[in-house]
Amino acid sequence: MAVIDIDLKFERPAFKLNVKFSSDHLATGLFGPSGSGKSTLLSLLAGLIRPQNGHFVLDGIPLIDCAQGIHVPAHQRRIGMVFQESRLFPHLSVQANLAYGLKLLAEKNQQFTMQKIVDLLEIGDLLAQKPDQLSGGQKQRVALGRALLTSPRLLLLDEPLAALDMRLRDQILPFLRRVKEETKIPMLYVSHSIDETLFLTQQLAIIEAGEIVASGDFHAVMHDRHALGLALSLGLDNLLHATLIESHALLGYGLARCGKHMLVIPHGSHKLGDEIAIAFSSSNVALSTQRLHHVTIQNQLQGMVTSIDIIDYRTLVSIDVGFKLIAEVSAKSIEALGLAVGSELYCLVKTQAIRSYALS
Amino acid sequence: MLAEENRLDLFSFTSAEIAALLLSLKVACWCTLVIAIPGVAIAWLLARKDFLGKTLLDSLVHLPLVLPPVVPGFILLLLLGNQGFLGKWLHALFGITVAFTWVGAVIASALMALPLMVRSTRLAISLVDVRLEDAAKTLGAQPFWIFLTITLPLAFPGILTGLILAFSRSLGEFGATITFVGNIEGETRTLPLAIYTYTQIPGGDLPAMRLVTLSILIALAALYCGDLLERKMQKRLGVDHGRD
Repeated sequence: MAVIDIDLKFERPAFKLNVKFSSDHLATGLFGPSGSGKSTLLSLLAGLIRPQNGHFVLDGIPLIDCAQGIHVPAHQRRIGMVFQESRLFPHLSVQANLAYGLKLLAEKNQQFTMQKIVDLLEIGDLLAQKPDQLSGGQKQRVALGRALLTSPRLLLLDEPLAALDMRLRDQILPFLRRVKEETKIPMLYVSHSIDETLFLTQQLAIIEAGEIVASGDFHAVMHDRHALGLALSLGLDNLLHATLIESHALLGYGLARCGKHMLVIPHGSHKLGDEIAIAFSSSNVALSTQRLHHVTIQNQLQGMVTSIDIIDYRTLVSIDVGFKLIAEVSAKSIEALGLAVGSELYCLVKTQAIRSYALS
Repeated sequence: MLAEENRLDLFSFTSAEIAALLLSLKVACWCTLVIAIPGVAIAWLLARKDFLGKTLLDSLVHLPLVLPPVVPGFILLLLLGNQGFLGKWLHALFGITVAFTWVGAVIASALMALPLMVRSTRLAISLVDVRLEDAAKTLGAQPFWIFLTITLPLAFPGILTGLILAFSRSLGEFGATITFVGNIEGETRTLPLAIYTYTQIPGGDLPAMRLVTLSILIALAALYCGDLLERKMQKRLGVDHGRD
């Protein structure tokens, strides 16, 4: 049975949400442009607003069922939420903030002790302080701990790292991953950053204009027709699953095996044998009808054109090289090279245009 | 020599003056206590809820602020006076008389002080971030618990200001009080009524002056303590809005 089963309709003047989605994975990343309804969806799930129609079942327990008049109030749902702006109670100490939900929870439902969460998130030194004495990263750790201590059946994370700078984000992400691995609480993670999300989960759901347009494994999702626009805007139209097999830190590059191909990628922090995701934008892929020898580009992948599409005035060529790649070229070069479906060619990708991410 | 005598006289109170002072403090304290809970409740309703008749409630609460104080006093007399609609009934059923007693003075000043209390509290409650209340909901707190543990403490500086304003307003209440409960020494003659009485009799200037001085001192002390408490509270709450 699916952990989460959502089918909700919600309408407000000039805004419509119609979400159908189910997942049995521990963590799902929710992606979408601003105004697409991500936060509204989380508010519906948490019970802060009411849908006009539909249902929401969590672990077999219906929390919303409009047909049967079921709408479990927010405080009885046991759905934890971490917000972008932490929302710690300013008049309470860190300790009291953490204990706020714990005290309201029946003892038999208390899955974690205060000590366990304090240790997990390394916030022991902060307990006596007030929220306004904390840094942004500390605040988010406390907010996460506060939500975890209610032993939630589902944890909603609404861009919890968006207000933090890069350095702090990198500090908090391992905590989120630790939380996922150690608590086994299902998570719905809203983020603008693919790095963050891939660090936590490979399960993605794409929301656009109030609808889930694609969901599933990140690879499948990113190559889904509906999600292509978003993938393009994120520069992730080419997202591959690979294994790191060589690492040359001094020379600044590594070798990754991706299907039958070997790709030269910039050196990263991954270890040999690590499963990694490799991403490069379609505009960084050049096409050639023959293998080039007098050129610095090392990555030359042979394949066959499967389609040529024009989306929003952009010409996108899909090539099957054992997996699917997308190249964005000018309409003029299509003409000059005489490209058509079935053409054999080489895809050229500069090493420096490739980004790599650790997969959880 | 005369000046010396006058200065000394400013601080030697007669028993009637002390009675007026104590009565005033008693009435003001009771008035503050009586309106605290209804005041917060009305302020919360006005700040957080939309309901039929909200504008009417708002207007009714604020009416005493804009009417000549004699008018609410007269209305109270009509309602709660010994021959009044409610007063007759109260007397017949419970033997309670409020007109021309200090309890009536509390009612009169409570009515006059309520709008000040509600205004200040309403503003304070509307400044409490509803998103914090939402966060409390997701942590499993029921609405009334959220009100007690989040809204109320965060709005407390504003509520305190409202209570102090109400206390001060009650100390100064004159028109509604004299209309509703009269000017009975030892029962309803509060400080302002006593000052008024002294100004109406020959040789009453000096006692009036003494009570005026006393009134100013009490009012200043109340405002000063209130401000001090509010600052302290805001610091403790970590909500220092409006003071940079």
